[in-house]
Amino acid sequence: MAKRFITLLLIALLAYMFLPFIVEVDETSQLNRVAEKYVTAGPLELGAANLVTAVIVTYRGLDTLGEIVVLFIAAVGIGFLLRKPSKKKIAAPKRSSSEILRTGSDFLIPLLILFGVYIFTHGHLTPGGGFQGGVVLTSAALLFMLSNTEARFNKQLTEVIESVSGIFYLIIGILGLILAGGFLDSRFLQLGEMGRLFSAGAIPIIYSIIGIKVGMELIGILEKLRKEEI
Amino acid sequence: MTVISILGFILIIIGLWGMLTQKNIIKMIIGFSIIDTGLHLVIVSIGFIKGRTAPIISKAVEGLDTGKNFIDPVPSALVLTAIVIGLAITALMLVYAVKLFRFKRSLQIEDFEELKW
Amino acid sequence: MVNPIYIFITSLGAAFLLNLFQKINRKIADLIFFLTLAVINYISLFWFYQLLQGYEAAKIYTAGFLPPYSINLYLGIEEAVFLVLINLLGFFSAVYLYKKFREISIKAMILYLVLIMGLNGLVMTRDLFNLFVFLEITSITTYALISLEDNKYSLTAGFKFIIAGGLVSTLFLIGTIYLYRLGGSLNLDFLVNSGVLNTKAGILATFLLVFALLIELKPFPANGWALDVYQSVHPGIAAIIASASSAAIFFVIYKFIPLMPSSFLPLLAGIGGVTFVFSNLMGLKQTDARRLLGYSSIAQMGLLLAALALIMQFDNLQSLSSIIVIIGGLFINHFLAKAGLFWLAGIVQKRNIRSWKIIANNPPLLLVFGGFILALIGLPPFPGFWAKWELVMQLSANNMMVWVWIILAGSLLEAVYLFRWFGYAVKNTEVEEIRTEAAQYLPVLIFLLGLLYLGMEGTHLVSGADSIYVLPVLLGVILYVLNWLPNKLKGSLCLLAVIYFSYRLLPALQDIYQLFGVVFLIGSAVLLITTFARKDIFKGFYPLLIIMILSLGNLLQAKTSLQFFLSWEFITITSYLLILRGKFSLKAALIYITFSLAGAYLILAGMGLAFRDTGVVSLAGLASIVNSGYIYVLLGLGFLIKIGIVGFHVWLPGAYTEAEDDFTPFLSAVLSKMGIFGLIMLAILLGEPVLKGIQLNYILGWLGVLTAFFGALLAAFQEDIKKLLAYSSLGQLGYIVLALAIHSHLGWVTSIYLTFTHLLFKGILFVAVAGLLSRVKTRKMYEMGGLINNMPLTFISVLIAIIALSGVPPLSGFGGKWLLYSSLLEKGWYLQAGLAFFASTIAFLYCYRILHSVFLGQPKTALRDVKEPSVWYIVPQYLFLFGIMAISMYPNLILKPVMSAVSTYFASSIYWEDYTVISSLGYWNGNAVMMVTMGVFMIPLLWLLFRIKAVTKVKQFNIVYAAERPDRPETTHYAHNFFAHYQKALGFLARPKVTEFWGNIAEVIHSVGALFRQLYTGNGQTYAIHILIFLLISYFILGVK
Repeated sequence: MAKRFITLLLIALLAYMFLPFIVEVDETSQLNRVAEKYVTAGPLELGAANLVTAVIVTYRGLDTLGEIVVLFIAAVGIGFLLRKPSKKKIAAPKRSSSEILRTGSDFLIPLLILFGVYIFTHGHLTPGGGFQGGVVLTSAALLFMLSNTEARFNKQLTEVIESVSGIFYLIIGILGLILAGGFLDSRFLQLGEMGRLFSAGAIPIIYSIIGIKVGMELIGILEKLRKEEI
Repeated sequence: MTVISILGFILIIIGLWGMLTQKNIIKMIIGFSIIDTGLHLVIVSIGFIKGRTAPIISKAVEGLDTGKNFIDPVPSALVLTAIVIGLAITALMLVYAVKLFRFKRSLQIEDFEELKW
Repeated sequence: MVNPIYIFITSLGAAFLLNLFQKINRKIADLIFFLTLAVINYISLFWFYQLLQGYEAAKIYTAGFLPPYSINLYLGIEEAVFLVLINLLGFFSAVYLYKKFREISIKAMILYLVLIMGLNGLVMTRDLFNLFVFLEITSITTYALISLEDNKYSLTAGFKFIIAGGLVSTLFLIGTIYLYRLGGSLNLDFLVNSGVLNTKAGILATFLLVFALLIELKPFPANGWALDVYQSVHPGIAAIIASASSAAIFFVIYKFIPLMPSSFLPLLAGIGGVTFVFSNLMGLKQTDARRLLGYSSIAQMGLLLAALALIMQFDNLQSLSSIIVIIGGLFINHFLAKAGLFWLAGIVQKRNIRSWKIIANNPPLLLVFGGFILALIGLPPFPGFWAKWELVMQLSANNMMVWVWIILAGSLLEAVYLFRWFGYAVKNTEVEEIRTEAAQYLPVLIFLLGLLYLGMEGTHLVSGADSIYVLPVLLGVILYVLNWLPNKLKGSLCLLAVIYFSYRLLPALQDIYQLFGVVFLIGSAVLLITTFARKDIFKGFYPLLIIMILSLGNLLQAKTSLQFFLSWEFITITSYLLILRGKFSLKAALIYITFSLAGAYLILAGMGLAFRDTGVVSLAGLASIVNSGYIYVLLGLGFLIKIGIVGFHVWLPGAYTEAEDDFTPFLSAVLSKMGIFGLIMLAILLGEPVLKGIQLNYILGWLGVLTAFFGALLAAFQEDIKKLLAYSSLGQLGYIVLALAIHSHLGWVTSIYLTFTHLLFKGILFVAVAGLLSRVKTRKMYEMGGLINNMPLTFISVLIAIIALSGVPPLSGFGGKWLLYSSLLEKGWYLQAGLAFFASTIAFLYCYRILHSVFLGQPKTALRDVKEPSVWYIVPQYLFLFGIMAISMYPNLILKPVMSAVSTYFASSIYWEDYTVISSLGYWNGNAVMMVTMGVFMIPLLWLLFRIKAVTKVKQFNIVYAAERPDRPETTHYAHNFFAHYQKALGFLARPKVTEFWGNIAEVIHSVGALFRQLYTGNGQTYAIHILIFLLISYFILGVK
């Protein structure tokens, strides 16, 4: 009890400590220099309609590469952690999925895949992008796993796709370095006409690669966890 | 100061409470997730400017001065990265919970105190 | 020009591909793994070299936009240094871990590559959020790699780590986003001076960032999780965490300094200092080797943090090279030594530090282990030594004496547990072998060589260093390499080296310095002959000995305080290691090194004060200090501890007794004089300082006479012959200090004269005892007896030495006593003279006891067939004996040079008439005394010879003959508890009060350490609460307005 009280006190103090963030920092009314440049010059420089995407893929591209790496190592790390099967197994009752789930997923999975692909290919135009698209792809895979408890994804294939897409991402980054202004510069391709699918330089390609890679990584994680018996 | 950021901080505090007082490892991880969510709210709230719209050029904003009508795109970009990283860490924590459970058949944090001093 | 961005591209590319290649062929995958590490090493080394040549730093703008619009990286010389180190460690650690990686999974290699890449990113990036991403990359890979050892300990530790890491990243992100909000940028360079610090929220945001980084450095007390991790993970990974990760985080903090308000620096320094002291305090109670390394790691990072934060606060920093020496030295020292030690822990495979004794079977391992331990403690010739020296000097110059004490106290604690550990490793009693593989041993060796090389390089950076130590160390190494030679040949080489060194050095020295040169070098040369009697194979004995002897010479020719201190430390280390060679010397050696280092640190602090007052490190500069009382006290105390003055004498009997028998003569006859030399040098430079109205020499005099008294008293009650001589030696040193304190011509002449005679008779006695013990295998005197027939030569030399020691006519000791009383009376110290006289009478007691118990009385049955010791024990005794006889007959042989040397500093108050020395109180004619005494003795002798027919011979067990009952147990033996009646009278004075006192202090310190480590309950949640408490306390201490 005493420990809880102390914790409460500490958290109260922490809240008090954070107070300046609430009290002193008022609502923004102006864009700062960096944001101003992104929203005004961004469309011209990169040709992307979705400026958040412009920031993610190009201006702060290194972060995004890092983000991909984080997902990648999380997937590898989970595989690494779970490399040994459990010694004591609690047999989970096996049962096949229900009729409703199977029918529903048969209907939904193609739509979800289509939707996922749409999201990451149109990241430079509309809200969304590689990560969101990848997650939607994964949800399709998850639905598949739920409805087909016996079926397995081809581990080899997902891993190959994942590795290859990772390499492609790096190659595009290097192309930016050689052909344009710097590593991950998306302007080594024509900017094209804003609003078109094939515009904004390499952004749609990068985002598609990201979408595929994210999808494969998450599927890998799901597959790994699914096999696990506690 | 926006309502969203206040809400974010409240979530951070609640999550922290969970993480520091719950004895069950899964509950601690949930606490961490709540902290993370609160944090994401705080980040998003930083970029928000009242009366402005998402930084996506479309028909609706054609002809307007983007610098005066768009919110800050940077926090939106950052939060995406933060979410992904949060996801990765949460996943790793859960896998750790699985591993720990295998050793002790328990998820109580005080059952894992062999190493000390 | 290779763009540094390729560091990321290659390592990521390899990481993505490894999984694919593994499916084709594991060998190819392994090759790619190492190639990648080689490539990033190449890139960082290439840039390091380029930048050294003066090329412009690399500025990398990603995405082709200038900052702050895009993320930029920067690679200047500082970054390059860190990258080179991290990547080199990455490569060698991979070599070390290769076998484990192969066994387990290619995934470990992938994670490892990404980890190294992440650390590179931390160092180079200039963007806050990008920093966060790299921070998370390194954290996540570390979390995963922790499970390389797949057991419940490492995984529990890993989970605690994740909890802490999660909190840290939250804090970091809150700070980042608010800095972006208030400063309008995420770029470090643009945030500086952007006005963020004008608001409380801005300061808070900066604080959160810095605090998050700080937690990654594992400060006390918010570091329970880190200790668990260090203890349980695979040592290869622990090496990465302790060295590479800490390095990267440290560099990030360094990058952040321009961003911090000035009020942060004292806080950081405070946290660093507290961490340094408390981690070392808690380390004292630790028995698990890896956790111990964890404590030491954390302490070292604390020290580094404190040093950085303090340096940044200096008003006037002397030069850039100071920063390089301090930060670079401390950093590299920790970086290489800690990684090396963790690797070693993996090779040895023993958890408990006591079990490390198996390492003694493996000399190469023992050698690197010793090297790393010395490096960590900050002893020469490693970089840490220069760093600590320079740090103390600069702190003193900036009037931060409190910090000097904090750092020295922490260092002493660290030295205690590290040396204790080393002691266990040296004492080999088991035959168990350690399996070493080249792939594991090579990285360790390379890191040690790197440390040595950088230590050598450090010489050029520190002012006043010189390569004075190179010759001794070089000779030591040569002798080590020549270990396969026969012992006598090695000994002769050693002897030749000493003689040649003396031949070069002695003529170059002046007056008193020259005299001490004779004591140190010629004395050592004679004692070296004793070691020819050794038969066993003993690695390292001669190398250590030659370094010690030559360093003694260096002490005399030191021109700067750094040279002096350097030589002093070399002598301390080598003598410690030599004492440690004794069979049961574990505890004694530890006490010895603890006191020696404490003394050395006092000297260091004193030299720091001197540097503050004079601004130079030259010894001669000391003379110009006006208010020199404090310096005198600090340096003087350091020297007195080395002498073993009463109150600090507890190390002395143990060290003398437990050292190898042929090394003890060096300790007593030669090494004890280095403290005396220090005191004389101090008196030459500082005169007779006064502190707060107290005449310091007066105190010194009393300390001397009390030492003489207690030394003699304690000697009288010993059963162990070496211990008896040890206390006797202590008592004699008391006289020397007393005479020195008189601070007059006669006083100093006495002091130096006594130094010489002490060398001669203690040399004889300890060599004789060494010879005796080579035959008699016991040190208890009551177990010997009647050896006069077995060892007549030894008996004669011991007899002469004892006569000389006790100060009766006709031998040299009488002259010493005469001079001493003359000088005391001249000074007017009557009470001291009385006590000194009383002490001399006690000296008779123990002198008599040696003769009686060992050589006279009944021969013991067990020792009936004992023979005279080997000739190598006899030769040095008779060389010294010759010296005693010579100066007894012709005191002017020694007194003339001593007097003329002292006349440089004082007007002479005694003079000569032929062979008679005359003082204001009387005269002494050595020749005449000799003749008279001889005459006095001759008459009874002749009478006895005349009466020889009246002597009846008796059988040995005729108990009428002596008051001995040879059939009784030894404890009831006459020679046992020889002076029981005196003990009744004076025994209360001989109770081990001082030993108890120091024992209690050690006990209390250990208990405090034990108390504090109760904080680490092992509960991951509690550790998280610690972080929170630490956060709040730090913030409220900061008191942001």
